[in-house]
Amino acid sequence: MNRIASFFKKSFLRNYANYAVVVLVALVFGILSMTGSLKMGNQFLLEQIAIAALLAVSLSMVVGFLGELSLGHAGFMCAGAYLGGKLAAAMTAASGNQNSIVTLLVACVAGGCAAAVLGFVIGLPALRLKGDYLAIVTLAFGEIVRNVVMNLPMSWFGGTLGLETPRFDRKYLFVLALVMVLLCLAVTQNLIRSKHGRAIISIKDNEIAARAMGIDITKYKLFVFTVSAFFAGVAGVLYSYTVSRVQSATFDYNYSIEILVMVVLGGMGSVNGSLIAAALITFINTKLQTVLTGNLAVLQNVFYALILITIVIYKNAPGLKGFREKYNLNTLLSKLKKKPAEEEVPHE
Amino acid sequence: MKKLLALLLAVLMIAGTCIAFSSCKKSEDTIKIGLSGPLTGSAAVYGKGVANAAQMAVDEINANGGLNGIKLELKVMDDVNDPTKVATNYAALVDWGMQVSLGTVTTQPALEFKNLSKNDNIFFMTPSASADAVRAESNGYQMCFADKKQGVAAANYVNGLGLTKIGVFYQSDIDYSQGIFTEFKANLNDTITVVEASFTEQTKADFTTQVSSLKDCEFIFMPIYYSEASLFMTQAKAEAGIKTYYGCDGLDGLESVLDLSTIPQAITMLTHFKSDADNAKTFVANYTAKYGTDTLNQFGASAYDCVYAIVGALKAAIADGKTVDANTSASDMCEILKGQLNGGYTYSGAVTGTGEVKWTSEGFVNKEALVHVLKEAAAN
Amino acid sequence: MEFLSALLNGFSSGGTYAIIAIGYTMVYGIAKMLNFAHGDIIMVGGYAMFVSLMLLNQPLLALAFAILACVLLGITVERLAYKPLRGASSLAVLITAIGVSSLLQSLAQIIFGAAPKMPTRFMINGTVVLGSFRINYSTLVTLAVTVVIMAVLTVFVKYTKTGRAMVAVSEDRGAAQLMGINTNRIIAVTFAIGSALAAVAAYLMLMKAPTLSSTLGAMPGIKAFTAAVIGGIGSIPGAMLGGVLLGVIESLALSVPKLAPFTDAIEFAVLVVILLVKPAGLLGKARREKV
Repeated sequence: MNRIASFFKKSFLRNYANYAVVVLVALVFGILSMTGSLKMGNQFLLEQIAIAALLAVSLSMVVGFLGELSLGHAGFMCAGAYLGGKLAAAMTAASGNQNSIVTLLVACVAGGCAAAVLGFVIGLPALRLKGDYLAIVTLAFGEIVRNVVMNLPMSWFGGTLGLETPRFDRKYLFVLALVMVLLCLAVTQNLIRSKHGRAIISIKDNEIAARAMGIDITKYKLFVFTVSAFFAGVAGVLYSYTVSRVQSATFDYNYSIEILVMVVLGGMGSVNGSLIAAALITFINTKLQTVLTGNLAVLQNVFYALILITIVIYKNAPGLKGFREKYNLNTLLSKLKKKPAEEEVPHE
Repeated sequence: MKKLLALLLAVLMIAGTCIAFSSCKKSEDTIKIGLSGPLTGSAAVYGKGVANAAQMAVDEINANGGLNGIKLELKVMDDVNDPTKVATNYAALVDWGMQVSLGTVTTQPALEFKNLSKNDNIFFMTPSASADAVRAESNGYQMCFADKKQGVAAANYVNGLGLTKIGVFYQSDIDYSQGIFTEFKANLNDTITVVEASFTEQTKADFTTQVSSLKDCEFIFMPIYYSEASLFMTQAKAEAGIKTYYGCDGLDGLESVLDLSTIPQAITMLTHFKSDADNAKTFVANYTAKYGTDTLNQFGASAYDCVYAIVGALKAAIADGKTVDANTSASDMCEILKGQLNGGYTYSGAVTGTGEVKWTSEGFVNKEALVHVLKEAAAN
Repeated sequence: MEFLSALLNGFSSGGTYAIIAIGYTMVYGIAKMLNFAHGDIIMVGGYAMFVSLMLLNQPLLALAFAILACVLLGITVERLAYKPLRGASSLAVLITAIGVSSLLQSLAQIIFGAAPKMPTRFMINGTVVLGSFRINYSTLVTLAVTVVIMAVLTVFVKYTKTGRAMVAVSEDRGAAQLMGINTNRIIAVTFAIGSALAAVAAYLMLMKAPTLSSTLGAMPGIKAFTAAVIGGIGSIPGAMLGGVLLGVIESLALSVPKLAPFTDAIEFAVLVVILLVKPAGLLGKARREKV
């Protein structure tokens, strides 16, 4: 028992378990999908989970680690989806191969970069604005991007009809998307655990103190916004591969809020939390959507809202602190562990 | 770690609902018809109209012996008019065993549905997704007129009126309105001055500004849906400068929300459904008795026709010696239906058009467009 | 002429935004939370008015009933969904507010159906003619109501005990509590006022544009949030200024055909520019951060 516990405490496993889980999911479901035993609905679900995870982990950089509230994440995604999607469509038209991984990668990089540039631009006001003021400015930027893209000439991005994009073979797209999630995880975790990451967290905790310590706040804020936007852009490109048309109505502020919900539910400043919450919320929404059909459809949002409110209150309410501490897995586990530990004391 | 319990709780809740609602077991020996439409959100009224009317058609057909003895079964899923949700719905419908589909209710999701169903060769006939791009695949058919056709027809109508100046009120962020308007403008005589006013999903709560922009136009063309049109008309009641409203099939349903006698202007529309037409009367009466007038609109009428047209075509195919039953695969069903529709099948007894519906060789619907004078101008 | 009438229409819709924004800004100032469900209180107010109009057949009585219903709802929501989270991160409250918003919308659709309702009885149609110029009565009523509400609230906040307690709570909740102010009560009162204003806003909206659906409040809610930020969150005159400004910009943009599709982008661009110049909004106090 004790040895197992100490094994689990090893920092290696704690630090890299999430990679292992993502790789495992990608491998298991990838093989299932290759052999044709994975249902189409589950392929779509995995695609959506991967995209949500990318969005949530990248947003958690800004919200959870830098401590700035951003409500414009869907706007970055929109930029990535349209620009990356446009490039992918052009390259596919030239090569005639819908399932070219090279095209997908090039589009991801291009879409990511486009979003990153936008992220840099939006990061600029972030230097001057705080808290909810920044939140509304990011929301505004997101809506501006969406509104402008839709009203550009039809031949550019398809107008109200949307931009036609190639659709990657759904058997494998989610595997590639999960690879992107791995990449995003690696970047985020390595960033957070580095010197730079500690600097970023110190800005969240106390900006003035951080400045006094000689931390270049301007640089770090812009940096985080840019990196976060990059991955939102990548998520956008992947999204463009999951649909036949990218339509700007998708990327409204409600979408940004949905991503924020994942980050907050996962726990601020927890990459794994964001990952789990993204998967869980996507799963819950999909299940509600597929189970509650016809006349029951209207109950979807009722259930979703109730689940959301319950979880948030349970997790955060100061009044429930005692209750939380009494009944959670950690304490239950430690109760189990305690008994052998006490027996060992006399032997020492 | 403390998250885990919360997560567990959530999973339990979901599992609970799953069990609670999956108890309604599906019967195996039916022909399964799938549909995805907005049952919640701001377009829900159209989705509800379609879901209700399609269910009504299915119930009627089943009560009359089904398709040569085989019962029909309809499953409607909610897409909130969001194309992102369509893939999930589509997959769930395929898992359920969908053999034939009514596609989606609205255009944006239909474009997604079209591509998904093309891969699996599943036949769909959408009641109301009107973009020309919805057709263009060999497995997709429309019961409504395509936008292009409506735009051209509207322009021809207006050209013949001899006006010099007209107003247009459209919604710039939906394809239905934008599509018709673009086509309309392209086909309109150059001699006619067009005063434009538009709105978006975000600015549709109040049309005071647009009313004052258009108040000097005697004739206003509004290629929009009736929820918004009814608001414009109500707000423009006092504008004596406006004499006539003219719209497309989207205006249908106006009388379900608006007391037309309070509107002084004349209202005319070019549509495929006329609620007071002889061929629509029974449908309107039955629908109203079952679901009230709230959601009665051309979307529903069109869906009702879709179900009957599909069943009619299948019956015709059986008469031609094809086998159609609960075990026919979706792909076979698609080929059979395509064969019928492209082979000149005529669906008679429609509640839309003048009662006879055909499809052109390109797969576009071919039926009579009706000039529906909803209301004459109030006598002064 | 076109320009002037667009300007006036802007004042009218701006007045409505202002009233919603005042509710937003007060709740924000006191409870330090972005109440994303505020817009949906308007929707509930609209339906409450619709129902009571059918029962009582009296628009003004209906308004009174709607105010009552909204106040009760506001206090209930605060008690059940926000109060347990007092002291927790403001983001947690933001999320429950989003949950409440989606819950209210779904319940409205379940109760009242998907089809929009058109309670035309609330409409005020007449116009005042000034030379070649026409002003809708509804515009005048909206402006008058907005000004009166702002004046009453300013007096209330400055000169009543409860009002001053509100200011104290918004400045420093901990210190206010130590001074013997019942912060829970003050927060509840603020929610009550905000919700009552939402009901009034619902009346003003139906007066001009009588359409009622479950998503009625979502868009004005976000616009009012924008207006409150433009004016400086927490400032009542700021909310008023921001609301009117936003309404005018919206109306002017909509009156130019080529710009109309870009209305949202223009409104938000103005917001961004204003915040870049004045980071705490037009009338907001820039707070120095102390070490």
